[in-house]
Amino acid sequence: MAFVALSEAEKVYIVHGVQEDLRVDGRGCEDYRCVEVETDVVSNTSGSARVKLGHTDILVGVKAEMGTPKLEKPNEGYLEFFVDCSANATPEFEGRGGDDLGTEIANTLYRIFNNKSSVDLKSLCISPREHCWILYVDVLLLECGGNLFDAISIAVKAALFNTRIPRVRVLEDEEGLKDIELSDDPYDCIQLSVENVPCIVTLCKIGYRHVVDATLQEEACSLASLLVSVTSKGVVTCMRKVGKGSLDPESVFEMMETSKRVGKLLHTSLQSVLHKEESLGPKRQKVGFLG
Amino acid sequence: MPGDNRRIRGPGESQPPQLYATDEDEVPAARDPTRLRPVYARAGLLSQAKGSAYLEAGGTKVLCAVSGPRQVEGGERGGGPAGAGGETPAALRGRLLCDFRRAPFSGRRRRAPPGGSEERELALALQEALEPAVRLGRYPRAQLEVSALLLEDGGSALAAALTAAAIALADAGIEMYDLVVGCGLSRAPGPEPTWLLDPTLLEEERAAAGLTVALMPVLNQVAGLLGSGEGGPTESWAEAVRLGLEGCQRLYPVLQQCLVRAARRRGAATPP
Repeated sequence: MAFVALSEAEKVYIVHGVQEDLRVDGRGCEDYRCVEVETDVVSNTSGSARVKLGHTDILVGVKAEMGTPKLEKPNEGYLEFFVDCSANATPEFEGRGGDDLGTEIANTLYRIFNNKSSVDLKSLCISPREHCWILYVDVLLLECGGNLFDAISIAVKAALFNTRIPRVRVLEDEEGLKDIELSDDPYDCIQLSVENVPCIVTLCKIGYRHVVDATLQEEACSLASLLVSVTSKGVVTCMRKVGKGSLDPESVFEMMETSKRVGKLLHTSLQSVLHKEESLGPKRQKVGFLG
Repeated sequence: MPGDNRRIRGPGESQPPQLYATDEDEVPAARDPTRLRPVYARAGLLSQAKGSAYLEAGGTKVLCAVSGPRQVEGGERGGGPAGAGGETPAALRGRLLCDFRRAPFSGRRRRAPPGGSEERELALALQEALEPAVRLGRYPRAQLEVSALLLEDGGSALAAALTAAAIALADAGIEMYDLVVGCGLSRAPGPEPTWLLDPTLLEEERAAAGLTVALMPVLNQVAGLLGSGEGGPTESWAEAVRLGLEGCQRLYPVLQQCLVRAARRRGAATPP
């Protein structure tokens, strides 16, 4: 990720502060930075969202296209993830530099959605074995300020909440030829239920304690992190250790408990904000990139 | 096959006949959830590699080779601040490059050699699990290459590859803090899901969730963790991690014996 220059004294300062549950910006170990979420920012997509978490800026666009279902799962649609680390985020991402990080994030996203309950894939089926909806979720990393995975998962959840898939009917005429008919009303859409879409909580081990939502400086002081993906009900869908250090087994159990607590809070506040934004209706004032 | 121009061009896409077979619900046999399959491990078998290992656990067969340390042109990375305790600066520390490959005939479906994102994800998991164990500070500006080749997938492939890679690194004489032992787990679907240690391929395919744990047994530190699926609440995952760590501890003596045997063989081979 982005390179940050920290002196020994600064590292010691951060580590000692974290042991006392006091971080450089005054937060406690389990507090998130202020998150700004806005949906429906890009007009050419079926759904989009922009999330700003401190200095981290993520833009997600979801496009729904029709295609053939996979052979092993003929009654379901599927999701395809692509993550692009733009060169604006940090100079290291110029050219092919951001590809490795992009594939790592995309693979993690595939993993967290790789179960039956996250997204109702059966609702994406149009006609079994022939047509289904494929949701292309494209993530754009505009600015890197630490804690990428959390911000990206929040943005993906908000974008899926905002996705409107047009209602489609399959008409069969006398000869058995199938024809697809799109509804005339542009607002006649199906909405995905994002009740069980998980969010990632990354816990960085610094000294003897762990912190949630680490900034770039804190990530530089941490050797190992645990990435846990939790749903709003506390069900864990993915767990991964990240980084070059090792973790004590007791720390692993403590971090899992913290992630459950923090995840539930994150989900409730995200749901309330998304519902509030939706209730403002199409006449709300869009902020976009100008705010 | 698209992109494969060394073979005769047949139809663009091909599928195995099993996909069209009628569903035979093969339920895996009930077994003791904490049983580990017997493991055969042998180090020092490839002549061209600095260190190598072959591991067989049930139907899973993995071959791992280590080469290096090779000097790498660091160039851009200047001297950064030294770590606490006088370690070498981050820029001068050695690098570990891992590669995970599946043989095309290893699974039920044929997979063309450039495996794609799944293999890169597993290679990254290998690297993240091996880095805590290797003393990279002792190999400044050098690069170690670890390549794992899965010959047959019989369940818990990543765990077997981790163990084989650690034995291969030890066989190559690379300085390490401890060996890394990997263990796979899977959670059976159904009314009373239990976590099964060291699943077979059938149990893994029918599983609702899977987990791979990597442990450094002497230091008792978790070196790697990768799991996904519908595992349920955190208590269930915690129980799985505990079971996995216990499995890793049980596997350790086998690997110790394997390395001792390899060292004896090498000692007997070189004339005094």
